Amino acid sequence: MTQRRHLLQAASALGASALLPGFAHAQSGAKKFQGVTLNVSTFSAAYPKLLQQYLPEFEALTGAKVNYDAPSFPVYNQRADLELSTKGSAYDVVNVTFIYSSRWINSGWLTPLDDFIKNPNLTPADWDVNDFLPGARAPETGRDGKLYGIPWTAEALLSASSRFDLVQQAGLAYPDTTDDLVKVLRAVNKKERVAGFVSDSHYGWTFVPYLHAFGGDVFRKAPDDLYPTLDTPEAIAAAEYYASLLREFGPDGAITYTPDQVTQALKLGRVNFTDAGQLHLAQLGDAATSKTLKTLKFGQVPKGPAGRFPGTAVHGLGIPVGSKNKEAAWAFIQWALSKQTTRKAVLAGYGSPARRSDIDSQEFRAKQVINGNDLAQLALDSIEQASRTGHMKYRTVSVYPQVDQQLNKAIALIASGQASARQALQQAQAQSITELKRAGQNL
Amino acid sequence: MSTTLILHPGTGWEAARRRAFLWGLLPSLAVLLAITLVPAAALLVASFTPLSLTDAAGTFRFDDPLVNYRHLLEDERFLRSIATQLKLSVSSVALQLAVGLALALLLNGRSRLLAATRTAFLVPMVLPPIVVALIWKILYTPDVSPVHRALEAVGLPVRSLIANPDTALWAISLADTWQWFPFTMLMVLAALQMVPDEPLEAASLDGANRWQLFRYIVFPHIRPVLVVCGLFRLIDSFKAFPLIYVLTDGGPGSVTEVTNYYGFIQAFNFSYWGYASAIAMVILAGVFALSWLVGRLGWNDHDKR
Amino acid sequence: MTSANPTFSPPISTPISTHLPLPAPRPRAEPASEPPLSGTRRAGWLRRHARGLAAVALLLVVMFPFLWLVQLAFKPGADIFEDSLLFVPTLEGFRSLLQGNFLKSFWNSLAVSTLSTGLSLLIGVPAAYALTRWQFKWRRHVALWILVTRMAPPIAFTIPFFLAYRWLGLQDTILGLAIVYLTFNLAIVIWLMQTFFEAVPTALEEAAYIDGCGVWQAFWRITLPLAAPGLAATAVLCFIFAWNDFFYALILTRTNAITAPVAIVNFLQYEGWEWTKIAASGTLVMFPVVIFTVLVRTYLVRGLTAGGVKD
Repeated sequence: MTQRRHLLQAASALGASALLPGFAHAQSGAKKFQGVTLNVSTFSAAYPKLLQQYLPEFEALTGAKVNYDAPSFPVYNQRADLELSTKGSAYDVVNVTFIYSSRWINSGWLTPLDDFIKNPNLTPADWDVNDFLPGARAPETGRDGKLYGIPWTAEALLSASSRFDLVQQAGLAYPDTTDDLVKVLRAVNKKERVAGFVSDSHYGWTFVPYLHAFGGDVFRKAPDDLYPTLDTPEAIAAAEYYASLLREFGPDGAITYTPDQVTQALKLGRVNFTDAGQLHLAQLGDAATSKTLKTLKFGQVPKGPAGRFPGTAVHGLGIPVGSKNKEAAWAFIQWALSKQTTRKAVLAGYGSPARRSDIDSQEFRAKQVINGNDLAQLALDSIEQASRTGHMKYRTVSVYPQVDQQLNKAIALIASGQASARQALQQAQAQSITELKRAGQNL
Repeated sequence: MSTTLILHPGTGWEAARRRAFLWGLLPSLAVLLAITLVPAAALLVASFTPLSLTDAAGTFRFDDPLVNYRHLLEDERFLRSIATQLKLSVSSVALQLAVGLALALLLNGRSRLLAATRTAFLVPMVLPPIVVALIWKILYTPDVSPVHRALEAVGLPVRSLIANPDTALWAISLADTWQWFPFTMLMVLAALQMVPDEPLEAASLDGANRWQLFRYIVFPHIRPVLVVCGLFRLIDSFKAFPLIYVLTDGGPGSVTEVTNYYGFIQAFNFSYWGYASAIAMVILAGVFALSWLVGRLGWNDHDKR
Repeated sequence: MTSANPTFSPPISTPISTHLPLPAPRPRAEPASEPPLSGTRRAGWLRRHARGLAAVALLLVVMFPFLWLVQLAFKPGADIFEDSLLFVPTLEGFRSLLQGNFLKSFWNSLAVSTLSTGLSLLIGVPAAYALTRWQFKWRRHVALWILVTRMAPPIAFTIPFFLAYRWLGLQDTILGLAIVYLTFNLAIVIWLMQTFFEAVPTALEEAAYIDGCGVWQAFWRITLPLAAPGLAATAVLCFIFAWNDFFYALILTRTNAITAPVAIVNFLQYEGWEWTKIAASGTLVMFPVVIFTVLVRTYLVRGLTAGGVKD
């Protein structure tokens, strides 16, 4: 492993420096950030994992040493929130998580990046910040109009079926509406010991499209009126529907499934349907580990009485305001999301890039055709739709994380039979109001 | 021992000796003051403010000192967490006492084998709590658990215990008992040494059987130890954290969310430090009361000399 | 006034009632000879060893979870989801721990535990001695204070400590963590060493005073050497408690001073629970502690009850 590292470093030093002109003048003499140790932290996911492999290239280029920390999603968020809240200097580069982006940006815990981008000494001219989807840059922009994070993923929540052959055997088509979904699940549940449906337990992400589909919403009118609307009749109907999906068609322990467990379950063909982002769904196309490659099918999230509202998510890399190595941190971000690096990732099978040039590229579109499904097109359609209807505005609110947790707990309570939909949501509503008031919101 | 000191009050070397002891004691007292009383005072002060780190300057105010405590009384999640804590504590302490007592009685013998097994039984108690949590996470995850798979193989498939709200708390209780029963076992073993032989000899001469010997002679002797042991474990059970963190994260729903965990969530998930301080004060008050009770029961025999 | 306290007797005790009543009751000794008739030999053997057999059987049942973790550490990664008990053991799990932060966290754990033990002993031993030999008015209150310190839930201290450390710059440092550990280790040292010092007869010290020694000279020359085994046991207990801590390390460390128990949590990842790594790291983290326990098993109870058990 160390040998490979050295080889990679040597090769990279020769090759990469030519591609990244920003460091051309640093080649002569000492490396630009020699002796600097960068602490990078993000949650463990497909792109960060690829970045970890490419780290030697960055280290060879700049002479900096990178400590790369990638815990699980809930652990990462809790630690990052704590560290950022005290404006500490433990991390130089952090992941700006989609549900926390507004909270962190608008509390002044992140550094604005516009100056770094505009500075020709720090950023090569062709790095092109406008190549990133506007819809992906929007959640990373603060109320003051400055950009605080560079997106590395722009994904949409899509529906997937790992054993579509069972659906076809039952003589049904891919479910389009919420009623269709129930019909299909009833037909295929437990056939060949394959459970019908599961989704990752972050219900503040996976459930909300259904909430919208039934005509409900999280807040009355985000971002202006933040009064929560979790206990409206539509919300209750949506929660009842969704929780019953988990209860009737879910595998054992469905409400504790983490995203990786969901991916694993689909790869092994233990569960049929799920809703997930391409960040995970793209992995189902990995021929080496996926047993269900030949029976995969993807589709959009189901349409409900009020329409179809696919969820979208954007994560980005940012610099905490307390970091002591901001320039080196920017060098890292700029390298990690340069056209060369993102293209490399796309070629390796990465499924949810945020750069337009990558999304439009031939290689990406070709790689994302999995078992005949054009995953990329589906995602693009969903993202397009989201930007038109604006139903993701609820997420741009700085107090969303608290409500997110309430939704998680509420669905878990309903699905495990501990409370009825009405009780659970009324509780969530009351708690949300308390928490919002505690966070200083005037309701 | 103290006779030497009392006989010559006020004389030179007597006072010098007292001063010497004071110097020995002072560093500890100073350190303890700095690291326990000062933070506790800071905690108390913070609990009187709505301190939240999204707006640290603005929320550090004292205009309504009891705001957090009032909220606590109305907070259903907090009140439920107390009930959960009590359920967990009482069930696991009762189990620990039962298992510890049974094993102590069994292993109370003078043979090398028994001595070796007594040592081996200590292992669960000294393992790092996070490792215990991981061991039980493996056992409770149906995909990898040998127990679940064995049960499935014989045709008795069992659903995941930690994902089921009815059994989640019991699952944690079981893991906690596994971890801490050696404590009770050791304490009872030590107490069994103190049981005097004469009544036992006399009673068995009179024809008493083992159960009667236990019930009328042994048990009364070890009862005080059992009580102290139970109280110690009760106090320690308020700290339960790694098991819940790894196994259930307070769920499913909030059925395994104990007060300590709820405080952790409030403090370190959303930085509601004022509110979390109030929760911590409540737990601290409970610990204080129980510790005082332990002290009162006279275990503190350093005093009696 | 006791200075002769039987504090060093190991917790092996006499049996309450070992067997069915023999003609001549000898409850202190196990019968040495076997019954003369060979027919009842097997029955007698079983009866005699029933307790031992039951103990071993129970031991296997109780230790099963622990043993399962250890064997999982040696299993090849692909077989994790298989059911076979037979496999070719591999050190792959341990080797994979070498990349990344785990080794560093292991060293951090060692450093913090050692530092914490050293500090606690340095500050606590003189205090324990003073409390033993000096009867003063507020002894009871100090005792209660020390007990509460030992018993208080970590969350009560982490909030103020977290803020203070941010301000003092001790966040994510080994020294900072060692200081926090004093909250429980100092109490342990004070309580345990009191029992050991009580066992040292004052006559020896008084002889030294007559010879002109000061209080602490006598302590250093006479009392401490006599209490040395107790000191060693206390040191080991402090080490174990510091090593095992999870909560303080979780909150107060980030990347620099991260300790082994917290590093394990990093293996619970988004992309897949790396079971082999978890098992291997778990095995490594508990290894020193188990070894030490065997060494100090006699004093373990006293340490855990802060000296509350008389024996």
